[in-house]
Amino acid sequence: MKRFWKWLLGGFGALLVAAFIFLSWMAGSPKDAYGMVRYAFPHMHRGNLRVGDDAPDARILQLDGETRFHIRERTGARPLVLVFGSYT
Amino acid sequence: MGDIVKIYEDYKDRADFLTVYVREAHPTDEWQMKSNVKEDVCYAQPHTLGQRLAIANDFVKRFKYTVPFGVDDMSNAANDAYAAWPERIYIVDETGRIAYRGGMGPFGYHPEEARAWLASRFGPVTHSEAPTVPAKTGI
Repeated sequence: MKRFWKWLLGGFGALLVAAFIFLSWMAGSPKDAYGMVRYAFPHMHRGNLRVGDDAPDARILQLDGETRFHIRERTGARPLVLVFGSYT
Repeated sequence: MGDIVKIYEDYKDRADFLTVYVREAHPTDEWQMKSNVKEDVCYAQPHTLGQRLAIANDFVKRFKYTVPFGVDDMSNAANDAYAAWPERIYIVDETGRIAYRGGMGPFGYHPEEARAWLASRFGPVTHSEAPTVPAKTGI
């Protein structure tokens, strides 16, 4: 029984190491693999929106930091191409 | 980013565009990319709206970004509603419904799919001039 647990733990450990090596290769380096797991995975989600769903509204600021508008104020007249992103 | 600007220039007379600036993808205090260091795009993750606005303003000024622009506030409401981070594209039709839902960036981020949607709706726009090299960082 003891031997079984030893093998199980060993196998699990080997699997973790293999997964980390694979992530390092995919991300570019072990540091990037850590960054992906620590910072990217918690913020990545596929979301629930589907084609045909009502577009959600949200309040947006202009670059002056004072003027506010809503995404849905920009919809209705023509198709609206929404691009999300950041500088980095 | 270069692709989006080109699509905007090609279709701005027929569709509306809005860029929404969301939380940083690769800030210095989280998962920083070598390409960002190389291109001097080094910012910590903003903790205040003022900090986020400052970076967004730097982005717009550096690239003379012409696409209509807005900034998600620190509640990240737009980001959460659209599962936007790190980058994503949607097209909302005139009835207010999602007509195109792009994949999650960077691997699922394909501006050419948005262009294809616009082309199928309004017809393709072709250019004869040589393509310019887009910046590697940012939207």
